Amino acid sequence: MKLRGADNTEAIQTLLEQRFEATANPIGGPPVIGLGRHTELAATLRDEYEYRIFGFVVAAHYPPGPKDPPESPDVIRVSYGLRSVGRGTNLATWQLCVNAGDAIPSLVPLFAGADWQEREQYDLVGVRFEGHPDLRRLMLSEDWNGHPLRKDYAIDTKVHPWR
Amino acid sequence: MAVDERERTYHHPVYDFMMKVPGLDVVTTTVDKLLTFGSEASLWIFPVATSCCGIEFMAMAASRVDADRMGAIVRGSPRHSDVMIVAGTITVKMAPRVKKLWDQMPEPKWAIAVGSCAISGDFYRDIYSVVPGIDTFIPVDVYVPGCPPNPEAMMHGLLRLQEKIRASASGKQTEAEKRPEPIKHQRLPRLPIIGDPSRGTELDRQQIASAASLGWWDELNLEQALEDAASDSDEQDT
Repeated sequence: MKLRGADNTEAIQTLLEQRFEATANPIGGPPVIGLGRHTELAATLRDEYEYRIFGFVVAAHYPPGPKDPPESPDVIRVSYGLRSVGRGTNLATWQLCVNAGDAIPSLVPLFAGADWQEREQYDLVGVRFEGHPDLRRLMLSEDWNGHPLRKDYAIDTKVHPWR
Repeated sequence: MAVDERERTYHHPVYDFMMKVPGLDVVTTTVDKLLTFGSEASLWIFPVATSCCGIEFMAMAASRVDADRMGAIVRGSPRHSDVMIVAGTITVKMAPRVKKLWDQMPEPKWAIAVGSCAISGDFYRDIYSVVPGIDTFIPVDVYVPGCPPNPEAMMHGLLRLQEKIRASASGKQTEAEKRPEPIKHQRLPRLPIIGDPSRGTELDRQQIASAASLGWWDELNLEQALEDAASDSDEQDT
């Protein structure tokens, strides 16, 4: 389905729900996709729906809350956004929900623009992207310990010899 | 085009008097004063402009405020420069780079900390990656507070530095500029600044080693730098 300048929000929603078995997000936000269909979804959006620009990848760390059952794992929610220019709706988003420490297939083979964005998420939140050609820290120094945007990162962690 | 001296229209009573009396147009001075005049009137700047203070710094170097009339021109190489002006937040990743550039500048050299972030980190001070003030790793001569300070304030900083150079050359006892006190609510972290008695030599060694580990070991001469750091702190102790 290719519609020039038209609203294809519903088409994308149908695609996500029926073909990729997306579930509604329990905490609000984009629909959640199973980890196994992730790369396939990105390829479908790129090739069939002309979402050719890698918009963003943002990860957030959710430690178990007080209402969760004891010993539930830390969860990392990774949101993706693809953009299209001139065709259909501007933005298509979906989310992955994995346990902390699990690897996520990288989108660099599909979108070259995902390279540094995935490196940034690896640096700050500690998401491992499997298949990334060069997964190094991007913003913090090379010998940094830990991932500062995790909720369990101690703010007074000493960074010798500068802090 | 050459100027014909007979057409010169500039007249000043003192100047005319000096030109009339034979011998008065020769000035005697000491070599020391001459060299001091040279260094204070040709402060070449090495800018480390990492954030918004850098924009004000550009305004200082540009035509309206014009630091050039004090002889302060901006150079792109630390090996040509006398003053390092650090204008902006220095992060943990940037700090060893700044330290290394500082080590590459030839003596005599001075440092000016421009803006709250370079002085103490200010409200970015509690963030995991921000260094709480550049005086925790290089000795600062002049502090220019503000967020950001306007170009005139930076110019005043340069003038204060010139004053300091003059005073130290004439052997006057001058008080070192004190780091402005940070706001009360800030609590983290307290790295002892250079010149603080509680600062150990081990910190100097670690910082030098961290900067040197960025590459070009031979050029920096790490062993010599470590010895210098040790002897400097020994002098401070005695």
